[in-house]
Amino acid sequence: MDEEPERAKRWEGGYERTWEVLKEDESGSLKATVEEILYQSKRKRVIESHGQVRLGMMRHLYVVIDCSRSMEDQDLKPNRLTSTLKLMEAFVDEYFDQNPISQVGIITTKNKRAEKLTDLAGNPKKHITALMKAVDTVCVGEPSLYNSLNLAIQTLKHMPGHTSREILIILSSLTTCDPANIYELIKTLKSLKVRVSVIGLSAEVRVCTVLTRETGGSYHVILDESHFKELLMLHIKPPPASSSSECSLIRMGFPQHTIASVTDQDAKPSFSMSHLDSSSGPGLSLGGYFCPQCHATYTELPVECKVCGLTLVSAPHLARSFHHLFPLQAFIESPVENLQGDRFCQACQAELKDKSVFSCPSCHSVFCVECDLFIHESLHCCPCCIYRQTAP
Amino acid sequence: MKLNIEGLLVYFPYDYIYPEQYSYMLELKRTLDAKGHGVLEMPSGTGKTISLLSLIVAYQRAFPLEVTKLIYCSRTVPEIEKVVEELRKLMEFYTKETGESNNFLALALSSRKNLCIHPEILHANIVVYSYHYLLDPKIADLVSKELAKKSVVVFDEAHNIDNVCIDSMSVNITRRTLDRCQNNVDTLQNTIHKIKETDAAKLREEYRRLVEGLKEANVARETDIYLANPVLPDEILQEAVPGSIRTAEHFVGFMRRFLEYLKSRLRVQHVVQESAPQFLKDIFDKVCIDRKPLRFCAERLQSLLRTLEIADIADFSAVTLISNFATLVSTYSQGFTIIIEPFEDRTPTIANPVLHFSCMDPSIAIKPVFQRFQSVVITSGTLSPLDIYPRILDFRPVTMASFTMTLARTCLCPLIVGRGNDQVALSSKFETREDFAVIRNYGNLLLEMSAIVPDGIVAFFTSYVYMENIVASWYEQGILENIQRNKLIFIETQDAAETSMALEKYQEACENGRGAILLSVARGKVSEGIDFVHHYGRAVLMFGVPYVYTQSRILKARLEYLRDQFQIRENDFLTFDAMRHAAQCVGRAIRGKTDYGLMIFADKRYARADKRGKLPRWIQEHINDGSLNLTVDEAVQLSKHFLRQMAQPFRQEDQLGLSLLTLEQLESEEMLQKITQIAHQT
Repeated sequence: MDEEPERAKRWEGGYERTWEVLKEDESGSLKATVEEILYQSKRKRVIESHGQVRLGMMRHLYVVIDCSRSMEDQDLKPNRLTSTLKLMEAFVDEYFDQNPISQVGIITTKNKRAEKLTDLAGNPKKHITALMKAVDTVCVGEPSLYNSLNLAIQTLKHMPGHTSREILIILSSLTTCDPANIYELIKTLKSLKVRVSVIGLSAEVRVCTVLTRETGGSYHVILDESHFKELLMLHIKPPPASSSSECSLIRMGFPQHTIASVTDQDAKPSFSMSHLDSSSGPGLSLGGYFCPQCHATYTELPVECKVCGLTLVSAPHLARSFHHLFPLQAFIESPVENLQGDRFCQACQAELKDKSVFSCPSCHSVFCVECDLFIHESLHCCPCCIYRQTAP
Repeated sequence: MKLNIEGLLVYFPYDYIYPEQYSYMLELKRTLDAKGHGVLEMPSGTGKTISLLSLIVAYQRAFPLEVTKLIYCSRTVPEIEKVVEELRKLMEFYTKETGESNNFLALALSSRKNLCIHPEILHANIVVYSYHYLLDPKIADLVSKELAKKSVVVFDEAHNIDNVCIDSMSVNITRRTLDRCQNNVDTLQNTIHKIKETDAAKLREEYRRLVEGLKEANVARETDIYLANPVLPDEILQEAVPGSIRTAEHFVGFMRRFLEYLKSRLRVQHVVQESAPQFLKDIFDKVCIDRKPLRFCAERLQSLLRTLEIADIADFSAVTLISNFATLVSTYSQGFTIIIEPFEDRTPTIANPVLHFSCMDPSIAIKPVFQRFQSVVITSGTLSPLDIYPRILDFRPVTMASFTMTLARTCLCPLIVGRGNDQVALSSKFETREDFAVIRNYGNLLLEMSAIVPDGIVAFFTSYVYMENIVASWYEQGILENIQRNKLIFIETQDAAETSMALEKYQEACENGRGAILLSVARGKVSEGIDFVHHYGRAVLMFGVPYVYTQSRILKARLEYLRDQFQIRENDFLTFDAMRHAAQCVGRAIRGKTDYGLMIFADKRYARADKRGKLPRWIQEHINDGSLNLTVDEAVQLSKHFLRQMAQPFRQEDQLGLSLLTLEQLESEEMLQKITQIAHQT
């Protein structure tokens, strides 16, 4: 998913009513469009995420993917399942990029049952391979919220208290087939401090509203594919840690990467420990990362040492999750009329056409909405501030 | 907040106000100023009750001599409780704001266990009770006759007020009624014998009183203390009870004769329909009963029961019913009809004769209310078309207004589905009722909806028979099985216990995510009075147009009467009646501004202007040309889109300034301008 998801072709789309979007209401602003409300919440999200809060940086996240009959619906192209799995691949990649010391597991639910696709692990490749394979899954029967949550709990409850326990459910169906009262399970989730979030693919279901409200998660319903991606990417940011979660120091190892040339006589080839459990791939290599404690070899990081249990990361990994802790301040919104001088965005150099502009509180540079979002979501630093720091 | 409504200071116990509430209070104040009657339509969930209460209480405080009392009539006990709750909030707010303990006395009459007989209640400033206390002559006489003239009467949820009026004046007599009446008369006779032996003076005293006539009552009425009782017309009070029924034994004998006559009338083999004068002539010819003693029957029986000191009146309901019938039939020569049916139409083999003494003119029962009280306000969420109510209730309102719901987002989505995917026209009209193509397409609609609508769906059919046929047919075609994969199915039946059980399970299934469909009937228990808030009703489907069963003789007589007396064409009335029930049904799903729901009218006839135009304005304004005569597929697409839009986060801040106002926002010039557009005068 390198490029923006293309809008569906005209003939593939549903019955669109473009004339309604254009129509101005005779009562003027009496009926604000939903888009307006959505825009507001987008802004809000940027603002909300700034605040000095403790974040749960070590995350254990289970993603539950609905594989029930309703996933065959073709309102996402080519169908809901394929589209979801594709986005999930991007999600897993991005997730490990932003949260290098976290883990993910994937659960699928169909036919009233739930089964693990992958266990909690910190290796993106394994998940992505599993996701690619899952495209051929036959979607049958109803999903079961209860069984999926229960399955996730079985593993999550053994995770240490200082980590953030999360479940993200991608639910397409509007019905769930549960063997017992789900409200009891919600209580258990709450007591275990598991945060459950839901992304609905069709409409708002009551039980999900309650589930997310009680466990402190978020509940969103997609509008279209690009909105789906946006909502999914929301979950990449680490959530604020609950105040009651334990504090503890974590031992981490920073293994050195040694590259040995084949010609070097002293070099001893060794097996990568991470390939022990996976049958595929050659594990034998000359160089690699060596655990500072037990000298086991690994070809990639981050990983938990199979031998001594030490968490192995590289310094850039930690640095990447750093910006979550010291986020860029929210830009100040002001109406475009108040602006003196040129009406150009400092970032993209385009003319400021919207009714409000955003200025950086430290360098007072002015940006448009799009750039404001881009700076806060991807760059994590103000380009003008950086420029000023380096220029003089 | 404190509001200024055309110079009147109104205390409003909330920090925010909906624009339409302000508009509603404006109209209400104008009605009170003019000392006239009003018809106001405002959608449910927009705070009608509190607007009414705040304004009228403020008015009472500002002009204590103009308005002395508020009589608030609601329909059911839960509704009455809701009113009392709002009133309590208002009073607390008054105490907090003014700092003085209020001297307002409010009284709610809901059931016998809450009944208070302390004389102070006569001076209550606010009385809250059920319609029947004011309309039903049998109860009104006990409870309401001493209410002051300068009262304001409010009928809430009044869309069915004409039927309540008619029911309160109609009498149905079966064989069973007559048998029980016979027993009553026997008991009376025995009691009279006993009393005669022990306390003959008592009976003589009663006789003397009757000779003097019902003067007391007459005096009271002339001095304007009592509310007129429609059963007991004024003329009677000026006369003495006729000699033939003055003594207790004679009266009992008279009742026996009357009873025998009725029994003979019930022995019919074919349907008889006659007017009141015909009936009187026949009774005179057959058993020599004159019109005059008949008219005094009800009053004479009351007097006798009092004299005999009978405590439990309920035992004598049968004889009371018969005597009321006697009085009514001899008093009103117009507006009533007598229909005797030897059997029910559905079961022509089982003899079950019924004598319907049917009121056709709702204005008879409500006339005393309009004449007596200076302001009567009729209000409900669905009163469209507004102009028909003054016509059938025969009064002249000073204000008639319909209010729309101001919304920050369009939270209701009415769709008219007129065709199936195979282009077969969908309709519940008689000719196509048995058509398999229509039934299949209806099933398809429900199936498709069950797959895309979350949680609860309520589907209404036009009648129990129609529902049974369709469901049986769906079962044979396997549609039910498919639906059950998406949602559980519950059905309303005529059995109240079964229905409430189904309702309970339905709500449970909506709550825990399984999802459910409730199949019910327009005009049934579910369609009136049970709210499907939020997830309990995300979509309402109306299969067909809920016309009343037009073959009933009572209805035919009523339609004929409406045509002759009020110049309302049969079709107009039937459509009006069908549409108000349809509006009631679909209105069940939207109970406030944060709620949202689909309203699906599955019948092509709804697309016609004469049907559509009779829906309440707050629904009508959301039906645009793009939502008419859709196919099932199109409706599904639109619904999907709507449901996704509605699932987006929606907070109170989004409403502020648009559909929810603070005091400052309300007082802005621009907003006041907008508010004037909310009320739609007719």
